[in-house]
Amino acid sequence: MLVDFEVIRKAQKGDAAAFNELVLAYRKRILGTITRLIARTEDVEDVAQEVFLRLYFSLDQLRTAEVFEPWLYKLTVNAAYDYLRKQRRRQEYRMSDLSEQQVMMADALAGGKVEHDEQQQKNVREAVDSLLGAVSEADRILLMLKEVEGLSLKELEKIYKVNENALKVRLFRARQRVLKAFGASGKQVPTG
Amino acid sequence: MYPTHRSDDERLDALLRAYRAACPDRDANANFMPELWQRIESRQTFTFSFRRMANGFVTAALALTVALAVFMAIPQKSAPTSPVSYLQALADANTVDAPETVGPVRLDLSDPGR
Repeated sequence: MLVDFEVIRKAQKGDAAAFNELVLAYRKRILGTITRLIARTEDVEDVAQEVFLRLYFSLDQLRTAEVFEPWLYKLTVNAAYDYLRKQRRRQEYRMSDLSEQQVMMADALAGGKVEHDEQQQKNVREAVDSLLGAVSEADRILLMLKEVEGLSLKELEKIYKVNENALKVRLFRARQRVLKAFGASGKQVPTG
Repeated sequence: MYPTHRSDDERLDALLRAYRAACPDRDANANFMPELWQRIESRQTFTFSFRRMANGFVTAALALTVALAVFMAIPQKSAPTSPVSYLQALADANTVDAPETVGPVRLDLSDPGR
């Protein structure tokens, strides 16, 4: 836990300073998680604010301070789901946006402004985003939480409210689908 | 690219590890907290207005219900009723003074050749 239970209890009672403390303690982690879940850096802060907004209005429903972290992760996952669903609806917009990004990237490359490491990281991000773009939002988020965020099965159980066996099955299936997309992509992916 | 002897599983794991490294945790910009509080306050204002409007509707509905209940409870002024029974009234309306309606049929038997 990044904060004392007492801070959570105070925030539950409407203490604004305690809520600020909570946000300050968790925002870096939540921003990082959202960055990896939605893969759109420009919208990360907006989604993170939505997470903390939902947290503010649902804190009174939290039974005990001990389950705060899974609760916050659940809110994060839900906000990421909502965002990804909206994005899917705005597919055309996203496509035009991407082409714009690609043009900017090409310009930057031509001018030699982007360093090799940054370029390599960008390639990795794009490769994973494209790979996970081939599977559902549910698969993407579940795999991200397990494989990238490093959440344990116990933690995932609390977030998804399903037992360990069901989670293992879901993870296995999600991984199989990603592997299938991975195979289909020709495995031309960089790792740095 | 990956060496060819590695399995797809291992390649995927390596790719996801590389992704984790390529997307490190980051901090928010300076406006994050003020913007968050702005959103909270705006949501609270909306919720407050909605609640106030809902309360207004509930109060109005309650007042209307009470008014209707009172209206229904007050005995209505009914139309004046006659103390006589229906049959009596009917009989009064069709008195013997109107023989054309209640008198016996008269047969004219004076012209048998017809």
